[in-house]
Amino acid sequence: MWKSLTKSHNSETVIALAGQPNCGKSTIFNAVAGFKVNTGNFSGTTVSYTETHVYIGGRTVRLIDLPGTYSISANDIAERVARDYLLSGQVDVIINVVDASLLSRSLELTLQLMEMNVPMVIGLNMIDDAQKKGMEIDIQALTSLTGLEAYPLIAVQGSGVQELFDAALKISENNFHRVPPVYDRDVEECIARIEARYPSLLRERLKMDTRFVIIRLLEMDEEFERIVAEADREFLEYVIENRRFLAEIHDWPESGVFASHRHALVLDLFEQVVAVKSRTGTSLSEKIDRFVINPVGGLVATVGAFFLMFAVSFWFGNLIADLLEVPLETLGSFLMSHTSGPTAMLVSGVYDGFTAGVGIVLPYLVPLLVILSLLEDTGLLPRIAFMADGLLHRFGLHGKSVVPIIMGYGCNVPAIMAARNLEYERDRIITMLMVPFIACSARTVIILALAGKYLGAGYTTLIYLGNIAIALGVSSVLSRLSADMSPGIIMDVPPLRKPYFHVVIRKVWARIMEFLLFAWPVIAISSIVLAVFSYVGIDDVINRVLSPITTYILDLPSELGITLFLGIFRKELTLIMLNSALGTTDVSAVLSSAQLLVLVVFTVLYIPCIATISTLWKEGGWKVALLSIALNTSIALAVAGSLAFLL
Amino acid sequence: MTLLELKEGDTAVISRVSGGKGVSARMAGLGLHAGKKVRVVRAAPFRGPLLIEDISSGARTMIGRGIASHVEILDEKP
Ligand SMILES: Nc1nc2c(ncn2[C@@H]2O[C@H](COP(=O)(O)OP(=O)(O)O)[C@@H](O)[C@H]2O)c(=O)[nH]1
Ligand SMILES: [Mg+2]
Repeated sequence: MWKSLTKSHNSETVIALAGQPNCGKSTIFNAVAGFKVNTGNFSGTTVSYTETHVYIGGRTVRLIDLPGTYSISANDIAERVARDYLLSGQVDVIINVVDASLLSRSLELTLQLMEMNVPMVIGLNMIDDAQKKGMEIDIQALTSLTGLEAYPLIAVQGSGVQELFDAALKISENNFHRVPPVYDRDVEECIARIEARYPSLLRERLKMDTRFVIIRLLEMDEEFERIVAEADREFLEYVIENRRFLAEIHDWPESGVFASHRHALVLDLFEQVVAVKSRTGTSLSEKIDRFVINPVGGLVATVGAFFLMFAVSFWFGNLIADLLEVPLETLGSFLMSHTSGPTAMLVSGVYDGFTAGVGIVLPYLVPLLVILSLLEDTGLLPRIAFMADGLLHRFGLHGKSVVPIIMGYGCNVPAIMAARNLEYERDRIITMLMVPFIACSARTVIILALAGKYLGAGYTTLIYLGNIAIALGVSSVLSRLSADMSPGIIMDVPPLRKPYFHVVIRKVWARIMEFLLFAWPVIAISSIVLAVFSYVGIDDVINRVLSPITTYILDLPSELGITLFLGIFRKELTLIMLNSALGTTDVSAVLSSAQLLVLVVFTVLYIPCIATISTLWKEGGWKVALLSIALNTSIALAVAGSLAFLL
Repeated sequence: MTLLELKEGDTAVISRVSGGKGVSARMAGLGLHAGKKVRVVRAAPFRGPLLIEDISSGARTMIGRGIASHVEILDEKP
């Protein structure tokens, strides 16, 4: 794991932002990075990081925004990944971002990071919030007690960021002298005893501060225990013996005894550094917060978010889609009239991919991601999760799944992106698999255009309700099938904050770029393939290949095979192609009511569209994408097939 | 007694967090460990989570009922 890694480049300085969730890491990152960012996953995990290259003071800096962690105990994948990265030897300087308004809590992580003995500076962010709380932080005292330089910041306004980075670049292994946290006498004696027996083999294998390794072992860190067991079993036994002894004399569980000592240090440090003056009145955000955490207020906020999302995807989204129609069509006919033969086919494929991309990004992705970002940045998201958690638990979901579900009604793509907020893999995967069952606005249009027009409001409502029932049913079953139990929600509820325009825009931009870089090639290639198909006149072949499904299972005319096939690329295509496939403008003249119902139900449930599939692939890996395709298709076949059989 | 038995507005001091290392470490990271004085701000509807406030820092955290049942407290009702 860590042993093989050496410092990457000589010319490049690697700075990692580490801190607890919501402390403002990404805001600092964006203030420095501007718009050129890369995102990726840590190898073999779905944990993502963001990085950028910037020039500061004539040096090339690789800046990495690590996932937020409350500790380095490797309790979940994000914590493990962040810690492994910091210990990999690749990082030159850690910037520990701290929410100054929650200083006592944040220092728990700071002390743990200090124990690693990697060069580090502290960024005391949210100084504005701390002042509002009447906190006065003595930065000089903090520096002299820890040996770490600390800089006050208000990241949303960009203030203090420059000074922080200048300081970070001046620090290196040679001039970094932290004051290692000193524990109780019993603890220190225990560490000293163990250190005396520290095997040299381990020193070679783990090129890390020995005191740090001992502390990890005293904290029952499984990963370190494994490595140490491989190197020297006896030594590990000795550590465990000491750990038990420590737990016994302090009458504390073995797993918590060390943390409790660290906590005592944190409190001590906090008291020496912070003076709290009395507060001045209740602020507006506190008043809003009081309203929102009431059942009535919470309901208003949740339903409000839902309607806002709906309004945005139907009203605003359609408005933009309409505005785009003419220019895109003009471009299309221009391209068609200037090309011919195989070139025309290629051009039309590229053009279709382009329109599909634009048709998703501008009308749906941009506005929905703005809403997502607003929910996150204001702090409304955790409050909505708080209200919805109890209800969603019954369906195997989680309070934090509420936002992906709400978003899903607009467009599945940002909904799956929003599932990133779920920290447990189990919950995240169940949510990601459930979202494609939710009738997004494109599919809602199909429901309205076919069921609404030919079957009436009653059936339309039934289809909608049935869809919700199926989606919830899927998540319930998946959660029963899943081996692990959801540990239940533990979530920080930050104060309500006013959103900053530039922060929202940057976030939306970053997410759009992520989507485009990954999904656009997939959409473009599949559109070219599609164009090739139609050029060779493969419609008939597709109809024939799919006819067992269309005619036997679904009892539909085989001509619909191609429209269903096209729906995989974009759900709207099913509707657009329907008339031409059937050779009529009055669908009800060709299809019976039962057939229409089957068609609508099948279209709503079967394979998610290409953009959704590629997002699933990006966010959850190809297995999740394949599983989702299989799940949606089999449930669509089962439900629509039984309807066809019964009616 | 556990956190779960408190009513909205009640305060108590955490005496111990059981329920495995993962739970206690996560709670500790959020500043909720033995010795902390906390207040139950709100219990969510439909047997949802509890909103807990750490009295010294004012930080708020929601914790599911399953986890709350592992948080032992010293009763401190007025
Ligand atoms: N009041 C205030 N809010 C901030 C400051 N820095 C960041 N925020 C807000 O805090 C929230 C969390 O920030 P973010 O960068 O996403 O945190 P991360 O989870 O550490 O990446 C966002 O809503 C920011 O707008 C600050 O200095 N003052
Ligand atoms: Mg972030």
